[in-house]
Amino acid sequence: MNLFRSEEHVSRWLDGRQPGSTLSVGKLSELAHAWWGNRLAADWRPRSRAENETILVNLGLVDDFWTLP
Amino acid sequence: MDAADVEVRNTTYRLFVESGNAPSANDVASAASLSVGDVHAIWQRLHNAHAIVLQKGTLELRMANPFSAIPTPYRVHAAGRSWYANCAWDAFGICAALHTDGHIETSCPECGEAIECEVHDQKPSDPRLLFHCLVPAREWWDDIVFT
Repeated sequence: MNLFRSEEHVSRWLDGRQPGSTLSVGKLSELAHAWWGNRLAADWRPRSRAENETILVNLGLVDDFWTLP
Repeated sequence: MDAADVEVRNTTYRLFVESGNAPSANDVASAASLSVGDVHAIWQRLHNAHAIVLQKGTLELRMANPFSAIPTPYRVHAAGRSWYANCAWDAFGICAALHTDGHIETSCPECGEAIECEVHDQKPSDPRLLFHCLVPAREWWDDIVFT
C-alpha cells in the first residue's frame, strides 16, 4: 500500500505484475479518516465485517478488489 | 475479546501515542498493573482477533495499526511528535486517529524520489499523488505485513 508520483510510476513499479487498485490520494485520505478515525476512542470496540463494508461502500469501493473476506 | 483485553489494547495504544515508540510488554504491564505474562497472553488474543499484530514467532509488538513498531518508509509528524506508519493508508490513518493535521514523509517506491505531503483538515496538499494497493481486500490478513 504505497504512494506514487503518477500512474506511470505505478506501472513501472508493477513491472508486469497484475495491478491492484489505484486511488487518488484524496480518496485515500477519506478512506483513512473513515477507517481509523475511532482508533484511539475511549469506547473503541472491534468493528464487524458489515461495519467495515459500509465504510468501503460509502466511498464507492464496491468492486471485487475491495470485497472483504 | 473481553473488557480486560480491550483495556490492555487501549493502554498499548495510549503508550504508543504518548512516547512515539512501541511499548514493550513490560511497559504495558507496569501501566496496567498486570504481570508480563498476562500482557503476553492478552496481546496474543488481540493478535488473533486482528486488533494488533505481533512480530512473527515472537510476543513483541509489530503493529498497532496504523502505528508501526519498527521503522518503515512512512514517517508521520503530527501534534509535535512522530511515528512510523505501516503503509500509505496508515500514514493518513495516524492523522485520522489523532484527529489532527500532519506531515507525511516517504518516497516513491518506483523511483525513490522523496514525497512529502501535508494533511490539513483531512485534505492532502498534493492531489496529484496516487495510492496503489496491490493485495485484494479478501487477502489482506493472509500476510498483513506484506499487505
